[in-house]
Amino acid sequence: MLNIIPILVVIANMQVVQPVIIQTAELDIELTPRTPNQMGSFYEARGFPKNMLNVLKKQCYVTIGIRNKSDQKIWLELANWRFSSAGKPLKREHRDYWKKRWQDMNIPLNKQSTFRWTLIPETLDYLPGEEEGGNILLPFTKDFISVRATFATGENKQGKEITITTDKLFCAEDAQ
Amino acid sequence: MKTLLKLLLFTTTIYFNPMVYAENIKPPFGIRNYDIGTAPDFILQDVDGENFALKNTRGRWVFLHFWASWCGPCREEMPAVQRLADTMKDDLTIVMINTAEDEDTIFEFLAAIDVELNSLMDVDGLVTEVWKPRGLPTTFLIDPDGKVKYQAIGGREWEKPEYMNFLKQLLNQSN
Repeated sequence: MLNIIPILVVIANMQVVQPVIIQTAELDIELTPRTPNQMGSFYEARGFPKNMLNVLKKQCYVTIGIRNKSDQKIWLELANWRFSSAGKPLKREHRDYWKKRWQDMNIPLNKQSTFRWTLIPETLDYLPGEEEGGNILLPFTKDFISVRATFATGENKQGKEITITTDKLFCAEDAQ
Repeated sequence: MKTLLKLLLFTTTIYFNPMVYAENIKPPFGIRNYDIGTAPDFILQDVDGENFALKNTRGRWVFLHFWASWCGPCREEMPAVQRLADTMKDDLTIVMINTAEDEDTIFEFLAAIDVELNSLMDVDGLVTEVWKPRGLPTTFLIDPDGKVKYQAIGGREWEKPEYMNFLKQLLNQSN
């Protein structure tokens, strides 16, 4: 449905999990769980160091694709997304967290840069017809994940707020 | 094999009087107004080892294009960028920046897709970090005064009339 960003094209061939699809009058949203091996293979092929791969393979990956179907600007702000599982909040780490973590591990700058490209931006304004996406990383859980996200609309964020929810998201696991 | 890659980073002796560029020109779908002021300068090496400084492009419109070899839409778009360069090289400075890959990867990629575009190498990704493209590929259009004016998101079919006409309008406004 959505043709998102470069990374998604690379990963598309590996996809085995059906996405959670949310549609409103204004937005199409796809949430696609990726297994650690799917993402690890991509990162490994880009020459990521082993200590970085060890961290990355323990994460829960979800690829988010968003298309603005409306005739006004829609604002993605990940700070307005709430994740929970088994009744407890699930903390999504900000891209700055990952930046510091890689710096602390002395990860080469080019690998840090490539990793950042795989993340969806923290904030993004979607023009009418625009589609963009990327990954978020969550702590791994075997329970279903609930998501509640709100989007501001309009040039100055003064339009109607859009809220989407799902309780069908999950972390994809590799086959044993 | 590097000789197959011709340098398309053009300089010019044509300079224009100070003026406001790109007024009243409506960009086509996929290109947004991006009026952020003076373009952040950088000096990067191309695949032939030559240094390139953005500030030396003043006086011409610049097509500043960020890409990576692992990016599918970048691969798809590259021939269109080549055709654009072939068509407009006398008026438009095409600047390609590969983000965070090594020289061998860049060279092999460009050779494999059979384009003659040279590329700058942002080996550490630091220039890309400053420019903050929304995704890959992303193209910025910089006016002859060195001001960033537009950002093109994702791969664009640059040889299509809506894009060519838009670019021609920009260039004509400068003349």
